[in-house]
Amino acid sequence: MTYSELTRRCFEHATCAGEAGGADWFRGQAGSRERGTWVQFDVQVQSADAGGCVGAVRFLAFGCPHVIAACQWVAERAIGLALEPRLPESVQALRTRFEVPVEKLGRLLIVEDAWGAAVRGAVLRRNA
Amino acid sequence: MSSPVAYLDYAATTPVAPEVAQRMAECLTADGVFGNSSSVNHEYGVRAAERVESARAQVAACIGAEPADVVWTSGATEANNLAIFGAAHYYRGSGKHIITARTEHKSVLDSCRELERRGWRVTYLSPGSDGVLEPGRIAEALEPETVLVSVMHVNNEIGTVQDLAAIAAVCARSSQARLHVDAAQSVGKVRLDFAALGVDLLSLSAHKVYGPKGAGALIASRRRAVQVSPLLHGGGQERSLRSGTIATHQVVGMGAAFALADAETTPEYEHIGTLRERLWQGISALGGIWRNGDPARSVPHILNVSVEGVEGESLVAAVGARIAVSTGSACTSAQREPSYVLRALGRDDRLAESSLRFSLGRYSSTADIDTAIEAVTSAVKRLRSISGR
Repeated sequence: MTYSELTRRCFEHATCAGEAGGADWFRGQAGSRERGTWVQFDVQVQSADAGGCVGAVRFLAFGCPHVIAACQWVAERAIGLALEPRLPESVQALRTRFEVPVEKLGRLLIVEDAWGAAVRGAVLRRNA
Repeated sequence: MSSPVAYLDYAATTPVAPEVAQRMAECLTADGVFGNSSSVNHEYGVRAAERVESARAQVAACIGAEPADVVWTSGATEANNLAIFGAAHYYRGSGKHIITARTEHKSVLDSCRELERRGWRVTYLSPGSDGVLEPGRIAEALEPETVLVSVMHVNNEIGTVQDLAAIAAVCARSSQARLHVDAAQSVGKVRLDFAALGVDLLSLSAHKVYGPKGAGALIASRRRAVQVSPLLHGGGQERSLRSGTIATHQVVGMGAAFALADAETTPEYEHIGTLRERLWQGISALGGIWRNGDPARSVPHILNVSVEGVEGESLVAAVGARIAVSTGSACTSAQREPSYVLRALGRDDRLAESSLRFSLGRYSSTADIDTAIEAVTSAVKRLRSISGR
């Protein structure tokens, strides 16, 4: 398997990998290790006074280089964006960006599901 | 040309030894032995035929066969096909049952699958978790209709060495079951005595032994009067078993490589075994590392491990910039499936997928091993950290 330069860079420099917690952090997971792909996002949400945007992101991922690279890219790109259950760009666009083989599309959907799970928790809290 | 990437994939292929390349080069150009070895009506052909027959004798001597047993092929895959299809068709009047193992090379398994589509029955035996195929299992599977038993000598993924003498003894009890052995990984690592073992058909490869790719042989015992039907027709070369102009430079390279292997087996064996244990000690210190196969029953040059807590493709990608290794066998890597060999030995899909096969060779050094230990250690720690383990 060969990887694009972007994929390799994000895979090899997964600086946002890790966990974080606290009152303003929200966690979402998707997939399973047993089935080959598992992703967890921890998303920090700024206070409403500060705009209510994504303040920081950490992720854990058990998966192929494309999955790890996509998680890293999402974690970097989401900072400062409005809180949305959608990824900063569509799964199709991510597939193109990272030159992900079509048979791996399902793995990117797991990234999207994990992101959505974390953000939905934050949205629920905000709307409560 | 040297590479910053440590090459530890000798079971996939080896570089051609300089002495071998020299011998091959002598058979290519106008000032060399370029003739057609079948054209023995003139000097060019005679000189080529002499080189071909000299190579045949070198290969035979290395494995304890008679020169007349050697049938040149394009490699072990063709030799396996010739042995399996050839024996199945020749003996089809006696029976249409074949026995093999689930851990065989794809060239054996796919040939057997094709024969099943054509009406043969095949029994696929499962080795134990150590990769060893108990001869008693073969004895139980033998039927009056069995015409061929096909077993590899050294497994290409985990290095397990089968007890060929015991398997041959079991087959000898059958009146008509011929024994074929895929020995592509054996030469230079394990002493082979074809005649003494009682094997009927043996497949060999040149490029696993510092010879050229595209050269191999099927050893078909004339003493045991084994017969195979040819796959290729037209020319009648190689006892009419493999028609086509003999690639003089290729077979000369194979002969030279086998002569070197014969001379170098013992010192290489000890040196490589020491390096492999250094590699195992270094990697196993990580914890969560499973050694696949029984080291007491394997060749010294292969170490196959499964790594807990990391995804297989990421593991290979993470180490790939520093070491050249295989995940599963080279022939199955493109399919991105867990190793069927490791699954047959009872490993679950995750561990079968996160396996690395290190295979050492003549030019492996302590520095290569230390590079591998460092590369695997740092990659596994990083990937486990990313996955939260």
